[in-house]
Formats: sequence, C-alpha cells, structure tokens
Amino acid sequence: MKVPPMIIDLRVTSSQRRPFHLWLPLFLLWPLALALGILALALTIVADAVLLLLGRRYHHYTALLVRSFGVLGETRGMVIRFTNEKTAVDMTVQ
Amino acid sequence: MSEDRSRILNLLAGGKISAEEAERLLDALDARQGAAAAPGGAGIQGDPGPLIEALPKYLYVKVLAANGDNVDVKIPIALVRSGLKLTSLIPPQAMDQINDSMSKHGMSVDLSNFKPEDIDELVGALREMEINVDAKNGDTVRVYCA
Repeated sequence: MKVPPMIIDLRVTSSQRRPFHLWLPLFLLWPLALALGILALALTIVADAVLLLLGRRYHHYTALLVRSFGVLGETRGMVIRFTNEKTAVDMTVQ
Repeated sequence: MSEDRSRILNLLAGGKISAEEAERLLDALDARQGAAAAPGGAGIQGDPGPLIEALPKYLYVKVLAANGDNVDVKIPIALVRSGLKLTSLIPPQAMDQINDSMSKHGMSVDLSNFKPEDIDELVGALREMEINVDAKNGDTVRVYCA
C-alpha cells in the first residue's frame, strides 16, 4: 500500500540569521484532504459521465485525480538541498 | 509459483519495477535456481532480495556552480514514473498550454508523445543513464540513478 508523505522536514542555516528547523506535519492535513478528495472524486465522476454521454474524446478527470494522488504518494523520500557560502536549505519529504 | 517469483510479480503489479526489470529479475532468479539445481550448485539461494535492493531507486541531480551555489536533488524513481504516467491523462487544452510554456523556456518536449506503454521502458533506461556536464566556467552538473 502506498503511504502518502507524512512530514516535510525543512532546515535552514544561515551565517547571517539564526538557523531554524521546521517540521511540517502533513499527516494532520490528510483527513481534510481526504474529505476534499472524496468530494472532488464525486464531481469528477459526474463530469466524466456527462462528457462521455456528450461524446467528448476526453473524459478522464477521475483517472487524472486518482493518478494525481498517486503521484503525491510517491513524493516520499524526495530531498532538495541548496547550499551556498552563506545559506544552506535542506528539505526532506518523509 | 515460488514465493520469490510472486514477490517480483507483485512489485511489477504495484508499479515498483518496470516490465523490463521484472523480466531481468525473473531471468536472474531462473539462472540462480538452475545453478542451485545443477550439481555443484548447492548453497546458492534463489532469493531475489539482493537483486531488488540493487535496483536504483532514486534519481540524483547535482549542480555544483563555480560561484559556490550547489543544488542537490534526490527524486524517487517511482515519482518519475508516476509523473510521466500522469502526463497521458492531462486534458489536451492544458497539454497544449504546458507544451507552449515549456518551449518558451527552451524545452521543446511534447509531453503528449509520452505513451503509457513506453514509460516503463523509458524509466528502465533512465536507471542506467548518467549525465556529466563540465562547463568551461567551472560549473558541473551530474544526473544519475542510484
């Protein structure tokens, strides 16, 4: 089973400012995102059915939404790091 | 069906590995099992775990600029695969806008050319890719999978 990212860990260190470490608990957003996702899913199913009945070639909004959640789920493990002489930014999706 | 074989097929079904990689793993498994069955081959186990672990899982992009700016990005290959598969579902109007915008920024890639059936092959090839750029001004760019 695909587990969505739970935490974004952001560290910023700078020679000019105080370093900070931000821990964004994404798991707190998932219940809200789930509710919105279900609502959006219902809408896309209706939209796709209407588009299909109208004979439109593109009627894949539901698949697009589901696949988008899949892409989101695969972001776990992504790391973006930027450093220069003064600043270092480190973002990890866990 | 052996447990190892079903494990590989589950990885394929789950999109964790491409069809090409699954084929390679199954071939390696058959070879190992064949070697274990052959006289003198005792002791060789057919566990594909190490083979699966050895597959690159991340795409790394490292940019070392001469002025000291360094960018280091680690992207899960599963994300690349999912992202490419998503492109086949983007509405045509939006796809045209994306392609226009990309070409304006110097990237003449038509995303609608990515067919879902080619993506596994593309990602498989990506795992073996390595790009090294050494610019005259001292900037270096490395793209590889590990």
